[in-house]
Amino acid sequence: MKKLVLIALLVSLSAIAIFGAKLVVWTSEKQVPFMKKMGEQFTKKYGVTLDVQMVNFGDIKSKFLTAAQAGEGPDIFVLAHDNMGELVANGLVEPFEFSAVDRKNYYDVAIDAFTMNGKLYGIPYAIESILMFYNKDYIKDPPKTAEQLLKYQKDFTTKDTFGLLWDVNNLYFSYPFLSGFGGYVFKWDGKQYNVKDVGLANAGAIKGGNLIKTIIENGMPSSSNYGTMDSAFKDGLCAMIINGPWAIPDYNNAGINYGVWPLASIELEKGKSLKPFAGVQGFMVNAKSKNKALAKEFIINYISTTEGAYTIYKEDPRTPARKDVAEKVIATDENAKVFRDAAIGAEPMPNVLEMGNIWSVMNGEGLVNFTNGTSTPEQALKDAVSKILANLK
Amino acid sequence: MNTLKKVLIWLFITVINVLLFWVFFTLLAFGNYGLGIVVGIFLAIADWAVFSKKGYPYRYTLPAMFFLFILTIYPMYYTIKTAFTDYGTGHLFTRDQAIQTLLTDPRFNYEPQEGKTLDFRVYVRYDEKFQPTEDFRILLYDNESIFVTEKLSDIRYDSKGNTINANTRMYKAQDDYINLDSSSYRLIRSVSETTLEPFSARVDNISAIEDSQKIRYSYFYSINDPSVAGNSAFYASVLRQKYIGNLEISYDTLRFRLSDRNIYRKFSETYKKYDILVTTENIGQRNVYKTIVVNKLASRNLTEKDGAFWDYDENGNLVRLEGYVQDIGTGQFEKIFKDPKITGPFIKIFIWTFTYAGLSVLFTFAIGLMLALALNDKGLRGRMIYRTLLILPWAIPAFISVLVWRNGFFNETYGFINKFVVTPLGFEPLKWLNDPFLAKVAVLIVNTWLGFPYMMTVTLGSLQSIPEELYEASSIDGASRFKQFWKITFPLLMVSVAPLLVMSFAFNFNNFVNIYLLTAGNPAMANTNTYAGETDILISYTYKLAFEGGRGQDFGFASAISLIIFVIVAGISYANFKFTKSFEEVSR
Repeated sequence: MKKLVLIALLVSLSAIAIFGAKLVVWTSEKQVPFMKKMGEQFTKKYGVTLDVQMVNFGDIKSKFLTAAQAGEGPDIFVLAHDNMGELVANGLVEPFEFSAVDRKNYYDVAIDAFTMNGKLYGIPYAIESILMFYNKDYIKDPPKTAEQLLKYQKDFTTKDTFGLLWDVNNLYFSYPFLSGFGGYVFKWDGKQYNVKDVGLANAGAIKGGNLIKTIIENGMPSSSNYGTMDSAFKDGLCAMIINGPWAIPDYNNAGINYGVWPLASIELEKGKSLKPFAGVQGFMVNAKSKNKALAKEFIINYISTTEGAYTIYKEDPRTPARKDVAEKVIATDENAKVFRDAAIGAEPMPNVLEMGNIWSVMNGEGLVNFTNGTSTPEQALKDAVSKILANLK
Repeated sequence: MNTLKKVLIWLFITVINVLLFWVFFTLLAFGNYGLGIVVGIFLAIADWAVFSKKGYPYRYTLPAMFFLFILTIYPMYYTIKTAFTDYGTGHLFTRDQAIQTLLTDPRFNYEPQEGKTLDFRVYVRYDEKFQPTEDFRILLYDNESIFVTEKLSDIRYDSKGNTINANTRMYKAQDDYINLDSSSYRLIRSVSETTLEPFSARVDNISAIEDSQKIRYSYFYSINDPSVAGNSAFYASVLRQKYIGNLEISYDTLRFRLSDRNIYRKFSETYKKYDILVTTENIGQRNVYKTIVVNKLASRNLTEKDGAFWDYDENGNLVRLEGYVQDIGTGQFEKIFKDPKITGPFIKIFIWTFTYAGLSVLFTFAIGLMLALALNDKGLRGRMIYRTLLILPWAIPAFISVLVWRNGFFNETYGFINKFVVTPLGFEPLKWLNDPFLAKVAVLIVNTWLGFPYMMTVTLGSLQSIPEELYEASSIDGASRFKQFWKITFPLLMVSVAPLLVMSFAFNFNNFVNIYLLTAGNPAMANTNTYAGETDILISYTYKLAFEGGRGQDFGFASAISLIIFVIVAGISYANFKFTKSFEEVSR
C-alpha cells in the first residue's frame, strides 16, 4: 500500500513537471495582441512558449497576491507602480539590476516610480498624469499663471456654469496645488522615501491649501467631486477641469471642443508650478517564478526595446516611458506632446505601503475640513499630518 | 434500460473516485496534509458505503457531510487558526519557506563589484541520432585563461520538479589540456596553427572538448556567436532552464554563477549571502533545536523580529528581507482590547453595529406595523393595489435601489434631497455621505426603506390570524381602539413576530451589502491606525481589513474580529431559541 501511494505520488508529480518552460504573462486587454506578437518571436529564438492571459487591470494585483503565495501565478505581469508596495513587502516581486536598463533612455519619473529601497522592481513602459482640460468655447488660450487661472474661473462662474471644477476632496486631484508651492507626501532622497517626513503641512502645502480655499471662495462648490466635474464638462457647463487622459474618449464622444494643457505649465509663482502625481505602468517579474531568467530576458530584450515600446504604443496609446519612442510619437501628434509634458512634469506617486495611510487621512478629513470651512487650511493640514504621523507604528 | 442505468451509476462512481483521488494527491503534493488526509478518509468511507451493504444508509448522508465539512467546518477551523497568527501582508509564507527563499533565491546572492567575470561557451554531447543531449560541459574564458567544467553534481529539485541547485568545478586549461582529478580533457581546434593568433581568437576555434574516454562534447552555443543562434532555443529552454541557471561553479575559493547583473550573458563571481545554522538551546531539561539564518559574508546572525528576517545593508541600516507567518497566540485579541488606536474604533464600530441593527429593526417594524394595520382595515379600498405597491421596495434588488439612493437622493450637488428640498429652502446643502452623523442617518433611511415591506408582510399575516371575536368581545366591554391594540393586537402579534425580529436583528448585524454599496463604511474615522470608517459595521470592517485595506491585508486581525462576531451572533441565536420557547409558553 505504501508503495502504491508512493508511485501514485510520483506519477502526479511528474505530470506536473511535464509542463516545462512556459512563460505566463498577465496583462490587461489592450496589451494582449502585442504580447502575443512579441511572444512568437521569443518562441522562435528560445523555444519557450508565451502564454498571454488577459486579466482585468484592476484585478491583477489581488489575483497575483493570491496566486503567487501558492507558488502559482504569472511569470510576468503588468501593473501600475503604486501597487508595488504591498507586493514588495510580501517579497513577491523580483528586482532588476539597474544595469538592465539604460537609464538615460528613460524619463526619470518612470524609473523613480519603480525604484524602492534602492532597487528597481519593474521596467516602465507608459507614464501618465492628470492634466487640465479646457473647453475651447470658453477659453482660447489656456492659463499660464495662477492669476490667469483665477481670472478665468471668475469670468466663467455664473449661475449656470462653472469656471473650474475638480474632485477637490481627493488628494490625487488636489495634490498639484499642495506640491506646487513645495509640499510633498514623503521626502524622497533619490533612492527611497522617508515615510516619517511628511510634507503635507509645510509652508508650501499651506500656501497651496489657501489657493484651493480662494478658488472655492470664488465659486467652486466645496463638494465638487469627480461625478459633478465629469458631467458638467460633458454638458459643456464648465470651462476648466482637472482629469486624466483616460477621460478623452468620453469627451470626444460628448462632442466637446476641448483642449488639454499640462498642469506643470501653470506657474504659481516664479519657478514654481502645479505638480501632479504621475502614474507609471510597467512590467514586473514574479519573485516566486522558476523562469526568472527567461522572464527578464523577454522584458529587457523584447518588449522594452525601441521597437517593442513603439509597438506597445500603437496598441495602447499612452505616453511611452522611453524617451526615443516618446519623441517619435510626439513628432506627429500634438496632444501626445501635451500628455508627455504633463507626465514628465509630474512626480511619481509614492509606491510605499504607507501611502494607504495618507489616502485615508487626507481624503477622509485633511482636505474636507478646510474645503468645507470647518477649519483653516493651515489647521486642517496640520491636524491631518499629525494624525498621519500618529498612525505610523 | 437497466444496463444503461448500471453503466451510468458505475461511470459516476468512477468519476467521483478519480476526482477525489486527484484532489487527495494534489493536496498531499502541495503539502496540505490535513485537508488531504480528510479527503482520503472521506474517499475510503464513500467507497465502503457504496460497496458494503452495511454502509447503505450512509450513501445519502455522506455527500451532505462532505460539503458540510468542506464549506463550513474547514473554513471555521481555518479562521480560528488564522486568528492566532499574524497572517497578512508581509507575513504570507511559513518560516521554512522564508528560509528556503533566503537560501536559494538569486535575489540574495552577492556579486562583488570588482569580482571576476567570465564569458562562456557551451559544449554538448550528441547522441547517435545526432540530437543534442543534456550532457554538457561549459568552457569559460577571459583574456588570460580558459577553464572547463566537469560533470554536474548535487542536483536538487523542489517539490514541483524544478531544479533549485546544481554544483560543479572548473579546471584551468594548460596548452589545450585540462587535468581533472580522475580524468583529463583535451581541447580540439578547427585550425591547427594557433601560436601566432591573439588569445581571444584562440577560443573561437575550439570546436570540441574530448575527455580521456574519447567522449566528445561539440561546440553548441555561445551568446556572442550568431552562427549558433539556431541552438539558442535548446540552450535557453532546456540547458539553462534546467541546469545552468542554478549552477554554481567552484574554482579554488571562488564561486561563479550566471550573472544577474550582466543579464545572464556572462558568468560572474557570485556568493550566497545566507546559510542556516542549527543551534541548541537549553530550556529546562530539554534541548531545543532552532534553525537560524546567518549572513556568511559578514558572519553575523540575522535579526528576527516582527515575524520577519532582517539584515544590515552596506550603510548599516536594518532592512527587512522576508516575512513569515508566526503564531502570536492571543496577540490579535490583545490588540483589539489594548491598543488604544484599535480599541477606540473597534468599540465605536461595535456600538454602531448594535445601534444600526437595533434601529433598523425598530424602524422597519414600526413602519411595517403601521402600514399593516392600515392595510388590515376593512374600510380601506383598493387594498390589493396598495399592498402590491408597498411590497415593491422589497422586490427590487437591493443593488439597484441602494445605488439609486446613493446617487439620486444623497448626492450633495445633484441629489434630489439637496437640489429640490434643502437648497430651495435656503439651507446649506447637506453633506449626506461625508458627515459622520448624516451618513449614519442615510444608511438607516435606506435600510428602513429596504426592510419595511418584509415586516409589513409578516405582520399582515399575523394580524389576520388574530381571531375577530376577541375584538368583538372587547368592544362590548367598552375597550377603545387604542386599548384594543395594546391589550390584544400587540401581545398576540408579538408571539409570532418576536422571533422574526430577533432574526432580523441578527441579519442586520451582518448586513454587509447595504453598508458596502451605500457608503463603503465612509467617511473615514479619525484617530485610528486601521482602515475604519464611521458607518462601518463589524462585518464590513472585517472585509476591509482582510481584503482591501489601504495598508495591505491583515487576515489574522480580520479572523480575530470574525471570531468575535461569531460569538455575538451565536449568542443572539441562543437567546432567540430561549425567547421563542418562552413565547410559546405564553401562548399555551
